[in-house]
Order: sequence, then C-alpha cells, then structure tokens
Amino acid sequence: MESYQYLIDYFENSPTIIKVVWVASSIFIIIIILLVIYLKYLRGHLRKNEKIVTKHQKEYESYLISYLYAGNEEEEISEEQQAIIDKLKSCAVDEFKRRIIVSTLLRLRNEISGEMAEAIQKLYFQSGLISYALSQLKSKKWYIVAKGIRELTQFHVKEVHDEIVNFVNHPKKEIRKEVQLYLVTLFHFEGLKFLDVLQTHLSEWDQIQLLEVLQHFENQELPNIKPWLKSTNDSVVTFALKLAKIYNQFEAKDAIMQLLAHQQKVIRVDAINALSHLQVVEAKDILKNNFDKLSLEEQITFFKLLENMYETSDEPFLLDHVTHINFEIKLSALKTLKILNIEKFKSLNEISDEPDYVKIFNFIEHN
Amino acid sequence: MSDAKKIVLAEDNSTLSRLLKFRLEKEGYKLLIAADGKEAIELIEQHNPDIILTDIMMPFISGLEVISHVRNKLKRDTPIIVFSAAGQEENIIKAFNLGANDFMGKPFSPNELVIRVKRLLR
Repeated sequence: MESYQYLIDYFENSPTIIKVVWVASSIFIIIIILLVIYLKYLRGHLRKNEKIVTKHQKEYESYLISYLYAGNEEEEISEEQQAIIDKLKSCAVDEFKRRIIVSTLLRLRNEISGEMAEAIQKLYFQSGLISYALSQLKSKKWYIVAKGIRELTQFHVKEVHDEIVNFVNHPKKEIRKEVQLYLVTLFHFEGLKFLDVLQTHLSEWDQIQLLEVLQHFENQELPNIKPWLKSTNDSVVTFALKLAKIYNQFEAKDAIMQLLAHQQKVIRVDAINALSHLQVVEAKDILKNNFDKLSLEEQITFFKLLENMYETSDEPFLLDHVTHINFEIKLSALKTLKILNIEKFKSLNEISDEPDYVKIFNFIEHN
Repeated sequence: MSDAKKIVLAEDNSTLSRLLKFRLEKEGYKLLIAADGKEAIELIEQHNPDIILTDIMMPFISGLEVISHVRNKLKRDTPIIVFSAAGQEENIIKAFNLGANDFMGKPFSPNELVIRVKRLLR
C-alpha cells in the first residue's frame, strides 16, 4: 500500500510535462492491449472460419465428384445424382454455403474440359444456383449485380443475354465492365455488338481486357467495324481503331481516312497510326496537302507514317521539312531522306548551322 | 492392388486432385496426392512412382523444380506429364527442356489424361 502511495505522490509532485507523458503512455499501453486482444480474437475467428470453409469445401467436392461419376446411360439423371442435387439445393439456401458451392464448382469448371465441364454446368442449373445469380441482377447494390454477372460469365450462361444487355450503359463502370466481359467471353466477336449502343466511356483498361479475351478465340474473324469507326462515342472509335490495327482491317480504310477530319485530335493521331499500320498510301496525299493545318502531334505521327511507307515522290516534301523547327520531324525527315536518296542527304550537310540540325545530321550520317 | 502402378499427382487445386484420383483409381492405378512441389518431391523419393503428373504453377516448389529434381538429382527417367494454364508457353518449353515427356494445357479432359497415362506406361 505504501508503494502505491509513493507512486501517487511521485505523480502528483512531478512537473506537468512528466504527468502528460505518463498519461499518454498509459493511454497508448491500454490501446495496444486492446488491439492485441482484438487481433487475437480476429485471428481466431478467421481460423475458425477457414476451418468451416475447408470442411464444407471437402463435403461439396465429394458431392461434385460423386455426381460426375454417378451418371448412367439409361437415365438423364440417376437416382444418386438426384440425391446430390437435392442436397446441394438445400445447402444453397444459406448464402455462406452457396458461396463455397459456387467456388468449388468453379475451381473444377476452370480446370477441365469436355463432358465433365458440361456436367458441372448442368449441375449449376439443376441445383438452382443459377436462380440465385439471376436474383442478384435485380439487387439495388451495384457490387451484387456485378458479382452476379461475373458468376454467369464464369458458368457460361448464354441464356440471360437479353437481361445482361440492359446493363450496357449502367452508371457504374464496374457493372459495365462485367457486362462487356460477359458478352465478349460468351459471344466472342459477336459480343462486341454492344459497341453499337454504348454511350458511356470505354476506358483504356476495359479495352485492354476486351482485347485480351478476344485473342484467345480460335475464330479470329472480326465483324464489320465501320459502324464503330463512325460512332459518336469517341472511346468506341478509339477501340475500333485498335481493332483495325490488330486485325488488319484494310477494308475499313475509307472509314479510317474520314477520321483524319475528326474533331478530337487524339482520334486523328490514332487514325494516322492505323493508316500507317495498314499501309494506306492514299492517306499520304491528304495529309501532305493539309500538313500545315495539322497539329504538331499529327505532323510528327505523319512523319512516322512516311518512315513506314516512303516513295521517291515524297522527296521534295521531305526536303521542305529537314529544317523544321521540331526535333522529331527534322530527325524523321532526314532519316527517311537518307534511305531514299543518300547523295541528296549528303548534300544537306551544311544547309543549317543550328546545333540540333548538326547533331541530328551527324547522328544519322554515322548510323 | 499391390501390383497397381503408382502415380504421384502434384496439383494445388484440391478439387481437381480428387477428381483425377477418383478417375485414375478407377483405371486401377494407385494415386499419391501432393498439394505442392515440396510434398511431391517427398512422395517421389519415398515411393518411386511409375509416372508423375505435375502442375507447373504450385506453391513453395514449382512443377519445373520437381522435374529438375527427378531428372538431375534423383537421376530417374520416370515419365512426367505437366499441366499448365494457357499463356505459359515459355514454362512448357522449359519443362520439356528439363525432361518432361508430355504436356496438357488446362482446361483438359480427364479422359484424355487417362489415355496419355496409359500410353506412357505401356
């Protein structure tokens, strides 16, 4: 008791700063103790949860494997299979268990092909799991709708196409992304028809994901991209230009050339790049005649195009621009000129004493 | 059953492992399941299987390391079939260079796997 009194006296007689330090330290110690207790509880809870998940997962794995091997040729669904379907149906009522069933089915669905993959698909329908995914589409919470669409994509449920298409212009970008992936994953290039009605922005990341999915299909035949090149949605036009380049859509060259007069600079630049990739020679004259009206970025891209498809007739145009104020244009003009006419190139040695020009000339001459 | 040919299956997807175990045991093989490369190596060293089926991407020790261990350290010519997801062409080439005998891209048909196992054990 005396020692406690000593501590109290010590605290009371201490300077204010020391008191503050003691109080702050005590508060921190209490917070740390509470956090440790909470973390211990959380860890225990997570481990318990993990054990329950593992237990259920094993149970559903057994059901699934028994189902896959319980079929016979006489009946569409054997008695044993029907018993498993009933068990899964009753388990699926609980959302927690339903999530584990779905993940178990998917874990196998993604790894195997052939009859068994089809059987898993069938089980997804028979056990009524699909109705839960469909009901998620009616949810007011956007992330539940997105999860529902993703599940339908993973199980290749083509039958709900019309319901999914309704979400194409949904205000939430996450839902739009899932819709786009659903359409392209299940309907391949035909699924791209959502671009006809897309009014919202198709982000760069969305475009990359769509292209990634498309490249896996055996049939690489693209539908007509011209309507997308004429879309009022600029992001659709940008995506269509990417498709034109990747899938060498030479037949769309006229529609691409029209984009040279598009009001958005970024689309005009992308159009020049696409024309360069497709080697559309006709584009050169149009761009040459309007060269002074082009933005600097378009001019630079045009010179890249010339590097890609130069002709002897381009020589005068290149000569006019070897002393252009822009470094990249100067470099590109001299580089192309050297390939076209080395003698002419050498004769340009002293036409300018501007440091950049001299540097570029010397670099190209020796490389 | 003691004459049954032994197969070590290294696969971290427990559902797929159980399915393949069920399928291959129906064909009369004895299956030893490993959930990762480390367990696979232990099973291979202990049981000297007749064939090894391994996924390439696994925790702790990859399928490539399992192949390398069997061929270079244990100096065994046990047939090896590797599984790999799409887009891992580089790993498949590495697996063949290390001594794998066959390859199956995921998703694959379990029935096709049985045919390939039978062919390699002939």
